Amino acid sequence: MMQRVWALALVTCKEGIRDRSLYGIFLFALFVLGLNIAVAGFFMRDLGKVTVDMNLAALSFAGLLLVFFIAINLMAKDIDKKTIHLVLSKPFSRGEYIWGKYVGLLLVILFAQAVLLLFSCATIASVHAMYPNYFAGFSWLVFFVAVFFVYLQQALLCAIVVFFSAITSTSFITLIFSMASYIVGISLEEVVFYLRSQAATQEVVASAALQRTLEVVSWLVPNFAAFDLKLEAAHGLALDWTRLGVTCGYGVMYIVILLLLASLIFKRREFN
Amino acid sequence: MIVFRSVCKTYKLGLLKKTTLAVDDLSISIPTGSVFGLVGPNGAGKSTTIRMLLNLIRPDRGEVLIDDSSVSDGSFLRDVGYLPENPYLYDHLTLRELLQFAGRSCGLSATVIAQRTQELTEQTGIAHALKRRLRTFSKGMRQRAGLCFALLHDPSLVILDEPMSGLDPLGRKMVCDLILDLKQQGKTVFFCSHILSDTERLCDQIAILHQGRLVHEFDSDDLAEFRSGERCLEDEFVAAVGQDTVQKEMPS
Amino acid sequence: MAGQRSKWLWLLIVLLLPVYAQLHTGSWAQRAELRQSQSVGFLVPSQFSRVLACGYKGLLADYQFLRILTFFGDRSLNQQPPTAEDWDYFRDSIDVITDLDPWFYDPYVLTEGLLTWDAGRIEEANALLAKGVRYRTNDWRLPYYIGFNNFFFLKDHAAGAEYIMKAARLPGSPSYLPTLAARLAYYGGKSQTAVLFLKQMLAENSDERLARRLQLRLLALERAAQIEDALQCFRHDQQRDVVKLSELVSSGYLESLPEDPYGGRWGILKNGRVFSTSKFVEKKKTDVE
Ligand SMILES: Nc1ncnc2c1ncn2[C@@H]1O[C@H](COP(=O)(O)OP(=O)(O)OP(=O)(O)O)[C@@H](O)[C@H]1O
Ligand SMILES: [Mg+2]
Repeated sequence: MMQRVWALALVTCKEGIRDRSLYGIFLFALFVLGLNIAVAGFFMRDLGKVTVDMNLAALSFAGLLLVFFIAINLMAKDIDKKTIHLVLSKPFSRGEYIWGKYVGLLLVILFAQAVLLLFSCATIASVHAMYPNYFAGFSWLVFFVAVFFVYLQQALLCAIVVFFSAITSTSFITLIFSMASYIVGISLEEVVFYLRSQAATQEVVASAALQRTLEVVSWLVPNFAAFDLKLEAAHGLALDWTRLGVTCGYGVMYIVILLLLASLIFKRREFN
Repeated sequence: MIVFRSVCKTYKLGLLKKTTLAVDDLSISIPTGSVFGLVGPNGAGKSTTIRMLLNLIRPDRGEVLIDDSSVSDGSFLRDVGYLPENPYLYDHLTLRELLQFAGRSCGLSATVIAQRTQELTEQTGIAHALKRRLRTFSKGMRQRAGLCFALLHDPSLVILDEPMSGLDPLGRKMVCDLILDLKQQGKTVFFCSHILSDTERLCDQIAILHQGRLVHEFDSDDLAEFRSGERCLEDEFVAAVGQDTVQKEMPS
Repeated sequence: MAGQRSKWLWLLIVLLLPVYAQLHTGSWAQRAELRQSQSVGFLVPSQFSRVLACGYKGLLADYQFLRILTFFGDRSLNQQPPTAEDWDYFRDSIDVITDLDPWFYDPYVLTEGLLTWDAGRIEEANALLAKGVRYRTNDWRLPYYIGFNNFFFLKDHAAGAEYIMKAARLPGSPSYLPTLAARLAYYGGKSQTAVLFLKQMLAENSDERLARRLQLRLLALERAAQIEDALQCFRHDQQRDVVKLSELVSSGYLESLPEDPYGGRWGILKNGRVFSTSKFVEKKKTDVE
């Protein structure tokens, strides 16, 4: 079983890495990194923070593009062009197909992020060398942890993409749904806590129905904001390892449950 | 032994409840080791039948059995090779990588994969393209690559959906030889085709499908008559299909 | 034939290029004019921009900060003095930026640099800086700024001393801060707080030279506090203030008048506070204060 999952993952990964759009995404990220070096001088003190901000933004935004275009394309092409007929005529169970594809997408993103991380480290190091006095709060450890969580966030998003590809028939719907999930997931926390603080001060009493809806949504959509350590990395703030552990576990659990659900639904699906 | 037992399949088109009856009350049984040919006009339901056999879609009614066990459990796949119509392979893989994937997913060892790859690509005549990306392949080359992909793990049941489409005359002959080869090795072959002369030559059993229904079946005695020239499959085909069209149009 | 047609296309492009160039310069000139005439920029309130940032809060903060920098840069380049409205915009911008990323140090520096000296809005600046103090808990500069503002602009010595003491307790703060804080506390009439503060500093401090200085200041402050206590008792018992400090000794509230370790003489201010002619400054001291 592992062998089949791995074989499919490798094929998916190769297919993704050799896609031309990957180069476009690389170019975009490199442009942001170059911009970083150009813009750094505009700031007064917190150059380290601005540099980390821009680097993490480049990595995570490139990741989003990767998920929304390459990952969705890799999932959808199989079904649209009926390549899946070939794969499923080999002794793959539907669940193995889902996991193989998912691992493949993870590999594509891992590869792309590793390349970008290399460039990113070079950028940080060179800005660091240019303005050595303004990197007081910077810490490589926190930066790498933040990068890891960016990756985890994208892994979650990939699971969402796989899930929606498994239940819908067009890639456009997958794109819309996974984008919507991302936007809701990343802003949900802010809205929930804002409403809570408003309710506490009794300024605006949000309707009970709205609060309940948000509660339900918060169970369905992962809280992407929890994986966002950009501010911590930017300022080299101390990391609370138990918090990170809980977040990590939360993400992995969500991925596993979502993919199991996806393979359940995929089992009932017909490919014609 | 492959058995279709009063199988029906209806496609639902979108949210509007428009439906197409693709396969209607189909019953066939194909003994192990024989070559079965399914013929019929475009849209007759041949590909649908094959997809049901591979458990890619499920019949609405009836059941499909391979060696007395239902196809829905998927365990038979280990021994099946399938060539879809218009096979679309991965764009950015090379042929070698594609075949490696086929071998690995069936649990073959690297040496066996390499050996089979060499054999099959030589047999199908695309050994020269092993290192090329599949997106650069022509229609016929893709068809040949699909054949290699289907046969790599030496399956005992081979399902081919229009294996000759897009092939040059030499390619057609190659496919015929391949099927005869498989027959000689005692494999079961299930294929559909529009090329009646080849079908007639290769098969032990032929079924004509029209508008989802089995309109005629020919056993080995009929086929012997075809080969000796006493009867002509083409005429029978036109008769069966034309007659049925008339019948269908009458009540409506 | 095809060659002919592409020749015409090239000609068309060559003809259109100057038109494009004209419009391009025109458009940029218009934008420049517009930006000058615009009194204030557009600002998304922080509770929305935090949501709209979609996880790029830090980056949005950087961008907003660049905008406010260029806005005031434009103003000074065009020799337009910022209006009250501009300063409102500035304060609100910094508020939004520091809501997006409350650890971002640059906006606080800009606030301290512009909003106090140029705009004279000390309370607003202090409010913004206070936000920074809440988040940058290890940064001595922000409380130091607030302390300085209180001391220098608002003449609120008590509050100023409190913040400078807070700054002095933070790592990396310069060694003159504690003595400065203590002196400010003294003038703010809070000798006892200053004593406690110095004791804590001494407990945490491992530097010999600093310890010696702090101990000296502590001694002086303890004595001042002792005199202040005695004055308090006197006032409580006798329902009046002393005329001279020696009265405290003669009426038994103090065994003897303690000596100022800095070598000054004690006196009483009109408001009843104790001071020393040394102002608690060592003669040889060259600290920046
Ligand atoms: N995905 C689908 N959705 C809806 N209807 C379909 C779908 N695929 C096939 N059909 C319909 O089912 C019927 C049978 O189609 P099928 O593809 O099985 O024909 P076929 O015999 O393979 O034809 P051909 O010789 O052209 O390959 C046709 O009427 C077709 O319109
Ligand atoms: Mg077909």
